[in-house]
Amino acid sequence: MARALIAVLGLVLGVLAGAALVLGNPLAWFRGLPPLPPDLAPYKTYRWDDYRGIEGGLADLLGVGERNREVALMDPALTHVRIGIVVLPAGEGAPAALAVKVSALDDDNSLWRARLGTRDYWSIFWPGEGSVFANAYSNHWILARDTFFAALAGGDRELMSPSYAVTAPPPLGDPAGVTGASGRYAGFTGEIREQLYPAPPGADRTSPDWAVAIKANPPPVATP
Amino acid sequence: MKRLFVVAFVAGLLTVALAATLWPLPQHPRFRSISTVPADGGRQEEFVIHWPEDRIARPGERGSGLPPAAAVGAAVLEDSAGRRVSAELFRLRDTEDNVIGVAGRLSGTGGAIADPGRSATNWLLVIPSRGALFLAQNDVQDTTVRESIAAEGSVALAPAQAGAFWTDRPRVRVTAPAPAGDGPATTGRVLRGTSEFAGLRGSFTETWDLEEVNADGSTRGRILLSTVTIGDN
Repeated sequence: MARALIAVLGLVLGVLAGAALVLGNPLAWFRGLPPLPPDLAPYKTYRWDDYRGIEGGLADLLGVGERNREVALMDPALTHVRIGIVVLPAGEGAPAALAVKVSALDDDNSLWRARLGTRDYWSIFWPGEGSVFANAYSNHWILARDTFFAALAGGDRELMSPSYAVTAPPPLGDPAGVTGASGRYAGFTGEIREQLYPAPPGADRTSPDWAVAIKANPPPVATP
Repeated sequence: MKRLFVVAFVAGLLTVALAATLWPLPQHPRFRSISTVPADGGRQEEFVIHWPEDRIARPGERGSGLPPAAAVGAAVLEDSAGRRVSAELFRLRDTEDNVIGVAGRLSGTGGAIADPGRSATNWLLVIPSRGALFLAQNDVQDTTVRESIAAEGSVALAPAQAGAFWTDRPRVRVTAPAPAGDGPATTGRVLRGTSEFAGLRGSFTETWDLEEVNADGSTRGRILLSTVTIGDN
């Protein structure tokens, strides 16, 4: 009996230590992108509760999430996709904007390479002003790591950061950024960053809040 | 005992290593891309959307009991000056009718966006296994979704879903033609792509085809997005 207990204890501790080593992959520390200047590209917070498809949490990223039949997209090609309409609030000199955001689980996710990410696509329209497209890669690895260690500590969500800068360079050097489409933003190019705010401890909701920052510059003026 | 613990501990480490290596992370199923090569070069690919069945309803939205032109999966934002933006969500199909992705159609009017009575439209096409295409065009008329108050509350009204829109025509090319010149004949531009579509640019047209007018005045039809792209190089 004592031998069995020792074996089980060793196995469990080995699994926990192994998981901690995998999640503590130092590659994750070098994967972030520098923040955009807040005076030029302030973050706009938004809710993304009005969506169809996957919830987008860690269970979905690992492929073990249960389908919520009220919002799931049942077509085989769309089983790992989330789509929704988002209203970005007015402020900082810009009016409110209507947007469509699509997130698709990244096919290049890898537990050894500290990648649990989504490909995110935006189409944003400001009434009477113009519109842009944007795409980015969001890596949720740090969030997964903190969630794991918080769970190890008995579900103490105080151990988690209040916000996570999830935007990271896309794998394989795929281009990311902002492309102006119409109106006064036609021809603009720029960058996008996203932050995820996990639901605070004790909150009624479990879904996170989000914030997006966009910095776009006009096209260079051609000189004769 | 000590040796047993160490062996079990190492077995635990190896279990995690094995799981991290073999864990079946989700992959998007892929459909064969159906493209052709036009006579003057490039790559032509067409995407199809059927209305109303390919509209992606927002959570809690009902698809029945609404006015004939009512559209699910749509939202409208209008400012105090009457400048309007609408957003619509769709499933995206290939020409063999397979659902291969999702599409977002955002249209806007007024101000710096479009001439009076017209709109400009952006299509966001996302094919999860292949990447995304960003399309933008000027429209031949105002194609934004309107918001109306009905007995059921606020409803979005899509022009093409009302029979009255189709009084004398079964087909509308929504993309405005480009001004005469040496450039492409259409204002529809493929601005950029990602992943498999990275480095592609080109042109596109959006066409609405009426298939049926129902007794209640609602319609069925299809949106055809025909793209022609070439590489940046």
